[in-house]
This record gives sequence, structure tokens and C-alpha cells, in this order.
Amino acid sequence: MHPYDEQLRLMTRRHFFGRASNGLGLAALASLMSRSGRAGQTGAVGPHFAPRARHVIYLHMVGGPSQMDLFDYKPQMADWFDKDLPDSVRMGQRLTTMTSGQARFPIAPSKYKFAQHGQCGMWVTELLPYTARMVDDLCFIRSMHTEAINHEPAITAMQTGNMVPGRPCLGSWTSYGLGSENDNLPTFVVLVAKASNNEQNQAISARLWSSGFLPGEHAGVSFRTSGDPILFIQNPPGVSASVRRRMLDGLSALNELTFAELGDPETRTRIEQYELAYRMQTSVPELTDLSDEPASTETLYGPDIHKPGSFAHSVLLARRLVERGVRFVQIYHNNWDHHANVAGRMPDQCRDVDQPCWGLVQDLKSRGLFDETLIIWGGEFGRTIYSQGGLTHENYGRDHHPRCFTMWMAGGGSRGGTIYGETDEFSYNIIKDPVHIRDFHATILKLLGFDHERLTYKFNGLDARLTGVEPARVITELIA
Amino acid sequence: MIGAGNRNAWGRFAAALLGVAAVAAPAARGDERALEYNRDVRPILAENCFSCHGPDSASRKANLRLDQREAALEAGAIVPGAPDESELIARIFSEEAEEVMPPPQTHKVLSVEQKQTLRRWIEQGAEYQPHWAFLPPRRPELPAVRAESWIRNPIDRFILARLEAEGLSPAPEADRRTLARRAALDVTGLPPEPSQVEAFVNDSRPDAYERYLEQLFENPAWGEARARAWLDAARYADTHGYHFDNYREMWSYRDWVIGAFNANMPFDQFATEQLAGDLLPNRTLEQLIASGFNRCNMTTNEGGTIEEENLVGYTRDRTETFGFVFLGLTANCAVCHDHKYDPMTQKEFYALAAFFNNTTQGAMDGNVKDTPPVVVVPTPEDRPRWDRLQVELAETRERIEARKREARPEFDSWLAAQSVESLSALVKPEGLHVRARVGPLSDDAAAVTPDLELDVADFERDQPWTAAAWIKLGQRDQSAAIVARMDDQAQFRGWDLWIEGGRVGTHLISKWPEDALKVVAGPPIAENVWTHVLVRYDGSGKAKGVSIYYDGKKQPTVIKEDRLSGSTRTDVPLRVGQRRSSSRLENAALHDVRVYGRALDENEVARLAGLGRAVELVRLPADQRSADRVDPVYRWWLETLDEPSRELRGAVAGLEAEAASIRQRGTIAHVTQERDQPAMAYVLFRGEYDKRRDPVEPDTPAFLPPFPTDAPRNRLGLARWLLMPDHPLTARVAVNRFWQEVFGQGLVRTSGDLGSSGELPSHPELLDWLAVEFRESGWDVKALFRLMLTSSTYRQAAVTTPEKREKDPANRLLSRGPRFRMDAEMVRDYALAASGLLVRRVGGPSVKPYQPDGVWEAVAMPESNTRKYERDTGDKLYRRSLYTFWKRAAPPALMETFNAPSRETCTVRRERTNTPLQALATLNDVTFIEAARVLAERVLREGAGCDDCRADGMAERVLARPLREAERPIIQATLESLSAYYRDHPEEAAALIAVGESKADPQLDPRELAAWTMVANQMLNMDEALNK
Repeated sequence: MHPYDEQLRLMTRRHFFGRASNGLGLAALASLMSRSGRAGQTGAVGPHFAPRARHVIYLHMVGGPSQMDLFDYKPQMADWFDKDLPDSVRMGQRLTTMTSGQARFPIAPSKYKFAQHGQCGMWVTELLPYTARMVDDLCFIRSMHTEAINHEPAITAMQTGNMVPGRPCLGSWTSYGLGSENDNLPTFVVLVAKASNNEQNQAISARLWSSGFLPGEHAGVSFRTSGDPILFIQNPPGVSASVRRRMLDGLSALNELTFAELGDPETRTRIEQYELAYRMQTSVPELTDLSDEPASTETLYGPDIHKPGSFAHSVLLARRLVERGVRFVQIYHNNWDHHANVAGRMPDQCRDVDQPCWGLVQDLKSRGLFDETLIIWGGEFGRTIYSQGGLTHENYGRDHHPRCFTMWMAGGGSRGGTIYGETDEFSYNIIKDPVHIRDFHATILKLLGFDHERLTYKFNGLDARLTGVEPARVITELIA
Repeated sequence: MIGAGNRNAWGRFAAALLGVAAVAAPAARGDERALEYNRDVRPILAENCFSCHGPDSASRKANLRLDQREAALEAGAIVPGAPDESELIARIFSEEAEEVMPPPQTHKVLSVEQKQTLRRWIEQGAEYQPHWAFLPPRRPELPAVRAESWIRNPIDRFILARLEAEGLSPAPEADRRTLARRAALDVTGLPPEPSQVEAFVNDSRPDAYERYLEQLFENPAWGEARARAWLDAARYADTHGYHFDNYREMWSYRDWVIGAFNANMPFDQFATEQLAGDLLPNRTLEQLIASGFNRCNMTTNEGGTIEEENLVGYTRDRTETFGFVFLGLTANCAVCHDHKYDPMTQKEFYALAAFFNNTTQGAMDGNVKDTPPVVVVPTPEDRPRWDRLQVELAETRERIEARKREARPEFDSWLAAQSVESLSALVKPEGLHVRARVGPLSDDAAAVTPDLELDVADFERDQPWTAAAWIKLGQRDQSAAIVARMDDQAQFRGWDLWIEGGRVGTHLISKWPEDALKVVAGPPIAENVWTHVLVRYDGSGKAKGVSIYYDGKKQPTVIKEDRLSGSTRTDVPLRVGQRRSSSRLENAALHDVRVYGRALDENEVARLAGLGRAVELVRLPADQRSADRVDPVYRWWLETLDEPSRELRGAVAGLEAEAASIRQRGTIAHVTQERDQPAMAYVLFRGEYDKRRDPVEPDTPAFLPPFPTDAPRNRLGLARWLLMPDHPLTARVAVNRFWQEVFGQGLVRTSGDLGSSGELPSHPELLDWLAVEFRESGWDVKALFRLMLTSSTYRQAAVTTPEKREKDPANRLLSRGPRFRMDAEMVRDYALAASGLLVRRVGGPSVKPYQPDGVWEAVAMPESNTRKYERDTGDKLYRRSLYTFWKRAAPPALMETFNAPSRETCTVRRERTNTPLQALATLNDVTFIEAARVLAERVLREGAGCDDCRADGMAERVLARPLREAERPIIQATLESLSAYYRDHPEEAAALIAVGESKADPQLDPRELAAWTMVANQMLNMDEALNK
């Protein structure tokens, strides 16, 4: 047995013995007994080699953040204000129909100040002071690229490796590959955070965390930000835990009779599922109840942790989920689609995410989880150097730009202090070390312990995989 | 996409029912048995070799293909009868890394048995077979069986022969109550009424079961149950899907499907009308509605998307859906390249797509509920009148035209008798405050703004008035007064006839803007064309009392302010072409400005609009009255003065109003409409919309029967091709899916893929027999179900044994009766029906029953009109689940929890998992708690004073049987324990029985009702209640 499997098994047993004294009924105990040692049984294929990252927290900035206003510093552009983007740079690239009718493509230099930080000397915008403090923990990729130029296909490609909906997302592949470490919570959790500014949100649909053709158990479970985090988790009014327990004891006994009569193993499964449901009714409220957080948590993540559904609150929940063994947490943060009014929106966007990201890194470090938790930050594409709509020194808009954008990773075996890839002076074309989405995916899978060519699932006769059929490469420079 | 779409399943707790290994074909017994290519060899080659040595020319390695015998022989890979001379054998047994096949980097490894099989096959002569599913089904001989007495119909022979071959025997027949429940669920999707069960149990006639079944088949719930599965395949939903995901008014198609099944429409007709109802000769409204099948695809209106890319996506979805639903083929694999396993080339995919590439559906759905092309669908009661109305409208309009042709002499003599005075008298002068001629109507001179100041028309808020003028506007881009009595230096008190951006409007102001009224016409007037504009106000003080006319025609209006309460009178004088001191009209000519202190009636408005031209005309000598001057006056005369025309026009208006109210009561249908040009498509490199290669004409793949020479190359011809008697796929695919509905899995488990990468059928001969039977029965769906449901196979008890669990773990061999967790809709409908809450009305607009807050809001865009889930009330809470509003970005939460697909793309097989989320739903959701309480009320009333009778009554409704003795003490214990609890906690009892919109029966003791509610909740959550 692989050492990692061994540990997984031990953890499961620890959980089981730890929880068994939790005051559950006899039937629950019986169901737990029958479940012991089942790690990896429901479809997890297990890693190909020892994983560096055992958890992922993926922070998706929906809409596509502007790389040249945040990380891809282009001081030369100051001299290009309102001048046309040279055709030699644009090279006839297709445009969205939002700007393809524009008569001119006037360059909009970033209005924000940049400074170099850390040992690595990464340039960071003034809008991200907290991020700037931790650049030596981050692994920047300034040369991401994709084919998609509209949101739906682009987010789908970022999440599933393909623009056409219907394929499993990264979280589902991770669940399929590594399985669960937790008995009481889902393997893959999705949190849709609310941006404080909602000038132009994009659609976020459940198809993004669908398991595609993978078995449904690998789909993301979306924790709701208002109401109960999980649908139907609350007993109805007038039904206390003790009433539920009595009712379930009778139910189990009735179902045991059915099992004795017909011998259908599915009946057994059902009995177990009802006991698990009962346990979740305790574990989920405990997860979302932040009253046990120390005062230092607010210092780390900022005061927004008290606003349910905020990015800070979601990130804190992500840390609690990872702590409890949840494998993959996907967070979506909206309103990065800055076709207009960068000046009015970018500061809000940055304020929403800056401190919480920093807080998360510090918190995971102090809890010893940073090295095994991979954090990913980024959008589905970048934005154009030229302005969409009106351009002034103070304000401008930017259209979608698939040919280059910036993302960062942290922890989980990624190499801190890395600045990978380079773009031209217009942040328009990549001039060094391009990273396609599938290369990025291959690298993430590597960190999770997988050879991306061997993590496959039979579908439509193909050995389907996250990285698809085109060649993809693991970017070893990004790995510590 | 097949069987995907579930999103709520859970980590490793979930046990995928369908994930259990299937038994496809009997294991080889000894080396003597002759190998069969399709059964024994092809799966090995397909899995390990074809992706490099198969049909796809682009990825073929070493120019070798192994899927065709000739090619494999020619290359020397296979030498029949001589394995040792065959390169294939040398390579697969090789231990050299550079030589061995499959190559190590593919991570594919042949087992020793597989290598031996290939070797023996070549030894035996290396005979190939075409893929089984591409050969037409022939009715096979019925196999002999030992236990003849078990046979009820031919299905049983195939099943039993196989069981006997495996050394298994069928399970005993299920008892009548179990059978009654199972059959009711299969036919109607609902549990049977206890009285129906009792009647069947007590029916001693030999055909009691058949009679019971017929009763079920007559229930309209039959059509609902069948439609539910079909709607997954048709990807029916109530929203567009992409981006805003706005409402789509599509439910007439859903109701058509229900109706078609209830009428037992033959499946060939069912298929034809959906694929091509619009192309049928003398097509009916119903057939047009059916063509909505091709309109169920997801659409977008996202700004910035590229039209051609969207259209390519829509066509592709329609083609793939056709492939899955009717051909059982993963045609989608050939979008980007030649199919890897089936002999379908990329070019053939696009030739097939060409059939679906010729509709008038646009690239953008407009975010509206009625994206063209659509047709009006009146309610069934309105249909006869609607049809008659179209005729009457056409007839009346024709009579208007006829009158126009005939009345000219009358008009001529009328005109000859007219003078300026007689014409002017046509509009009564009563209430005329001012009339300013300003300039001649024919004058092209601009900007006439006379220095006119009159102390007239000082209207109070409740004074009706009319203001009108001829205007020729040289420049629309201005805001100005045509005539006004308004003090723009005192909060704009007064009124005006106004124009902004070319749109005519009016203000009535006491204090701008908080005490004012403003209405503006929707459309602007034409630039540089004389137009008669008129505003009429009825004195009501409300914006809706304002009407605006251009050339006598009423215009749609926009209300900008509507909060007038104070006085509108002012001391400043009336002025033409400006307010008191601002808003001067520029670059415009005016003529005949009139203000009346009354509201003119409709006919006066029309007369006034034409009066000017008529006056101009009579001023001219008769010989200068050219046709272009006379014709407008003639039209005006017909419309306003000619009684016969006026009567006819009144009749048309009446008919149109009637039509409008019928439209209002009815709905619409999204229909398919063929473009009037020959269909074609482009081969797209890697499936990308902007990488066009060769153009292709509509055609069907070469490995399937040829397209009929006399059939049109459109969807109708495609339907004819599909339904040809020799078509190998159509009937097999259809019966396989109906089988899947009844037995939980198809004879071919991969019901969307009968191609070579799909699984082999468990009973190939049975599938063929059923396919031929189905086709020869006239595609009779009810007959097919009757056949399945009356078989001994179906009637077995679901009891299993250790031996069967070992040999037939997933019941692929049907060694016992079908038993599996009900589909999402059935789970909910079951609770509603068992409690008596279910509202059985068939059809109508989709409804929004209970759903936890925030499900839509969490994913919807702020601009979406399906962002906020507004729950319905009353009956709509208790309709069958196939009527629940289906938002694609957030399908009904309860349905999704139970593996319902999102309906974004075609689904022909649902997943079936068991998860704790499902347990939470049926334990806690309002629907189930309310149903439990209503069920409890029912048994409390019916079984007064007798707990045993109550428990039995409940069991009869939930389990279709009385309680068993072993169950009684368990229920009793729950009841006693909970009764004690609620006696001590009356406030909790009150809270529990208040769940749901319906009110608890006040006659019942709340504490007793609460305890029984939980007993019902327990029973509704039994494994037996959740399973078929």
C-alpha cells in the first residue's frame, strides 16, 4: 500500500474513533462500524506519486481581472496614453463584438502606482498592499493564456479544460483522484462570494462545479451564503434532535426488516445515508459557527468576516473546511469584468480580496497547513491594454483579452517567490514562457500527485482527462 | 451528454447504484468455443488499439488500421490462421519497450487472457463482423427453455433461457399488492389508490392483472409519466440557459408530449412531428408545436458573443441530440475529428448537421420569452373560435379593400361638393380656444415661431383638453414646446404640447417634478415630413388619461411622471413654438395649431388629422388635383367619413380585440421554421466556428442505410430515413430506452451509445425481437409497455439471494423483479399523492412550488428575470413535478438532489446515486413535512380511536399494503415515544403542524397530530417507500 493511502486510512479511523463517542444512537454506531476502512472505495483512484498538495483553495476572480492594473507592470505605457495600439502588436487578433466595432484602440496606461516587493522583486499595484507583503510566498504566472474570449466559455475552459460545457471541473477531478478525508463533510465545496461592488456581475452557474461525466459524487456541493449552508440541513420547526433520533431509530429498524426480506444491498446503503445525514446536521452548523474563532482571526482576515457571503467570510470558511479535511474549496468572487469604470470598481475589488488572501496564507502557515494546501488566484482571461469606451487619465474600461493574463499560486508545493513568464510592453502578447490553461492544469495535478496523462476516466469510449487531447506540459519551474 | 448532470452527490459516501459491474456477455467456457468478433475480440481492439489504428484518419499511426479486415491483412498485421506470422501477435507478446503494443506511454496493458483471445481468433481465421447495432434487427427464433410453465410471453423465453444457461432460476411472482404498486408506478408514476389495490387483490378473474393494467393505461397520468423521461431527452426547460437565463415560454411543447403519449401516438409519427412537424403538408398547429423539439436547445443573448459561433453551437446541439435520442450514437465525437470507434467521419457529422442548420432561429434569444419563430397557441376551448377568427378577419379586411375599390365615384362626387367651410365644419368648433394657421401646409420654410401671446387655454388639472398641430421637423435632436401655456420661471406650472428627440409628449405641471405629469410617445416622428400630431387629455389628473396621435393613429406611450395633485393654472399667456421664455422650437415648420378645451373623440381626431390635406386639396383647381394629393384624402375619407368603411373597420377592431384576448389567455409555441434555401453546412476544423473547411450538403452517414432517393433533403426526409423498416438503430434505441424506464437499465446499459464504444446488450436477441415487434405493431408504445408489464419477468418478486448477488449483482440478467430508487419527480409526487395533496390537473404553465430561499439568487445574474424565485400558492404547490418551473442554471433543488439533470443538454440516462443530501430532503423539506401532516390528519379522521387501524391506513397509502406484524411494534414504539414528547412540548407540536401553506385540521389534537406527522414522515422515508 502506498504510504499516502496508509495515512488516509489511519486518518479515517482516527475520525471514526474520535466521533464514535459523540452521543450517536446505536444504529449510527452500527453504521459507522460498517464504514470503517472504506477510504477510497467510492471511486477515488489514488495518487500516482506522493502529493505535495492535499487540499486546494481556488479563488476564482469572475470576469477577468486586469493584469496590467494589478501585476503586469508596464511603465512604458505612460508615454502611449491615447495612442493607437500598433497593428503589429494586435496582429489581427479576433475581438469581442463589444469593441470590434470601435474605430480606434487607444492605449490606456494603468492609472495605479506600482512598487517592487520582497526578495523576488515582484511589481505589485498600490491597490494590493497586503498581497505585496507576501510576494515571496506567492508563485506568479504572468503568461497565462486561453482561446476563449467570452465569459461562459472562458470560465468553463478554466474550470474544466474545455470551452464546451459538460466536462468535469478541476475540483471534481481532484475528488475523483484523491477522494475524501472527512466523514461528515463533502469532498468538494463551492462558495459563491458576494462582491461589495456589483456594477457588472457575470453569470455563475452550477454547471461550473458539475462532475460532468464523472460519477455524481464528485460534483461540488455549493454551500449557500444565505439561509442554511446545505439544503434541508435543518430539522423542521417542532422537530428537535431527540425527536429526529427517535424517528430515525424506528426507521432503521423498519429498513432492516426490508433488508432481511429482500436482501437488496441498496437498502443497507440507505440506512447508512440516513445516519450520515443525521451526523451532518451537527457537523455543518459547527463548521459555519464562527464563535470559536480567536480574536486574532479578525485581525488576519479583516472585519468582513462578520458579513456572511463576503469574500473574507468565504475564505475563512475555506480554511475551516480544509482544516476538517475537505479536499477542494472553490470560491467565486464576481465583478471583475471591467469594460468600463476601472477607477470606480478596481479599488473595491482589491479591497474585497487583498487582506483576506493575506490572512489566509498567514493563518494556514500558523496552523501548519500552508505546505499542504494549494491556493490558486486568478480569472478566466485578462484584459486589453487599449480602452473600451471613453478614455481619460483618470478612468477607462478594458475589454476581454485571452492572450495573456496573470495568476498566482501559493503553498501546496508551489514555489514561493517565483515570477514566471513575460509579456510584451503592451501586456498584449506573451514573449517568454507561455502557460496554457492545460499546462496550468497539468502542473496542478502534478502537485496533487497525478500524472495528468494517467488521471483518466472512460467516457464515450475515450480515456478522457482534464488536460484534453492536445499536448500539455508540467511547468516544473513553478514547483518547489 | 449521457447520464451526467447530477451535482449534489457526496464524496465517498455516495454509493452509485449504477456503478456496479455489469454482466454483459457470458464468460468464455474453455478454449473450444468459437470466438465471435463482436463479442470477444472487438472490445479488446476497441479499448486498446483503435484510437491509433482505427477509423480516425488524423490520428492513425503507421498507416495501419485494424478495424477493417482487408486493411489489417494487407498490412500483414493479421495473417488468418497463422498467428505466428501475424505482426499483431508478435507485437502484443513482445517484451521490447520499443516494440510492444500498445506502447507503454498509452498506459494501456493487455491481460494474458486478452492476448490469448486475439491469438486464438487469428488461429480460427480472424473473421470480422460488422458492429451488431449497424445490422438491421431480424426477428430471432424464440429460444427453448426448460421451465415452459413460467413463460407468459416471448420476453420471458429470452430471459429464462439465459437464466437457465447461468444456472439461475427466476424469483417467485410478487404478491398482488407489490405488483399493483409497481405497475402503477411504472405506468402512471404515482402510487395506486388503496381502493384500486383492494379491487385488484379481490378480483378473482383470470385476467385480473390485465384489467388492472388497462385501468392504469387509461389514466392521463400515463402520458405525464412517459413525458417526464422524454423531456430529459428533449432537454426541455423553462429558461434559455446561457447568461441571463431568462424565462422561455415553452410549456406548450411539454403539454404536446403529454398529449401525444396519452393519445398513444405511434412512435414514428411522434418522431416525425418533433423533427419536422413544420414541414408536413397541411401541418396543424399541434404539429408546429411538436417541432419545438428542435427549439429546446440552450440559447444566449450575451453581449459580445459572436453570432456565427452561437449558431454553430445551436446546430451542433440539435445534431448531437438527434444522435443520442434517435440513433443512440455519440455523434458528438465526430465534431472535431473522425469518430474514434464508430465509422462516422467528421464530414458525415457536418452532413448530418446540415439538416439542422437551415432554420430561421436567430443567434441571439433577445432575452425574451418568445424568441422567434413562435406561433400563438390558444387554450383548447379557444381553438375553434381562434381558427374561425382568422377567417373572419381576413374576410372583413378583404371587404374593406373591396369597398375601397368601389367607393371612388361616391368620393369624387362628395369632393366636388366640398368647400373650405364645409370641410372645416367636419370637426365641431365647440371648445376651440385657439387656432393658429401659422404657415401654409405646403410651405417648406423652416422655423416659424410667431410672436403670438394669447390669454386662452388656462387649464386646471381637471379640465379635459386637446392640442394638435401639423409639424415638419428639420431636426429631431431637440426638446421644445409646439404650443404651451407654461411658466418656466415658476416651477414650470402649466401645460404644453411637447417634443423631445422627435417624440411628441405633454407636461401638466403644478411643481416640477414632484407635482407633475409627463407622458411621451414611444416612437419619434419622421424628419422633414409633415406630420399631424395631437395630444388629448381627459381631465383625470392621471398619466393614463393622456393619448398621443400621429396622423390620426394612436401611439404607444411612456409615462415619465405621474404624481400630479396641485393646480396647473398659470398667469403667463399661451405661446406657440415655445414656453414662456425657453424651449423654443428650432428648425421646424408649423401649421394649423389648435387647442380645444375638450377631449375630441376618436373620429374627430381622425378627421382633424386629414382635414388639412383635404382643405389644401379643395383650394386647388380640379385639374391640378394630382393622384398623390387626392389619394391620401381618399383614404382619410374612407376612414373617417364613409359609413360602410367605418363599420367594417369597427368590425376588424372588434375581431382584433377578441384575438388579443385569446392570445392573452393562451400561450405560444417555439417552432421550427425552415429557411427557403437549400440546407448546407461547413466542415469545421476541430469544431471551431471560424475554421470552415468544405461545404457539405445534408446527408446521412454511409455506414447506415442510404438516404431514400425520393425523400427531400430536409428534416422531413431525415425523419423518413430514420423510420425506414431496415433502419438498424431507430427501433432498437427506442425500445431500449422504454425498457430502461421499466427495468431501471436498458438491455444496452449505455442507452445513449449503441455504437462500438457502448456496452454490448445483455440480451441481444431479445432487443432485436422487441425492436421488430415494436416496429411491426405500428410503433405502438402502449402495446410495448403492456408486453413488458405482463411478462413473468416483470412480475417477479424483487427478492434476491446470495447466489444471485454473486452471479447477477446488478440484476442485468433479470433474475428478480425490478427494484430501484424512484426518480426525483416520482419521489416528490409519491408523497403528494399518498397524502392526498396532489392536484391532478394536466398541463398548463409551469409552477413554482416550495423551494428553499436563495437557490436561484445564488447563481443568477442581477439582470435575469428568473433571479428571484417567487413561490406560488394554493393548488400550484401540489402539482406533479414535471410541471415545476425548470431554470437551467439552477434546476429545482429537490429534483437536483435526486439526480435530475440540468436539462442543459440531452440526457437519455439519469444517474442514480444514494446520498445523505437526499435523506435530508425527504426528512426535512416542507413538501414532505406537509404531506406527512396531511396524511396523518387523514388517518386520524378515518381510523378514529384505533391506532392500529390508523397505522394500517397509513401503510396502505404509502406502501400499498397493511402493516406486517414485525413492523407494528416498531411503529408503535415510535408513536408512543413521540406522543409522550409532544404531550410535554405542546408548543413544538404546534410549530410542527404549522409547516406548509395548508392549515392543520383544527378539530384534531395538535399533540396527537404532531406525533402522527412524524410517524408518517418515518413511513414516507422507508426504503420501500422510496423504491419502486
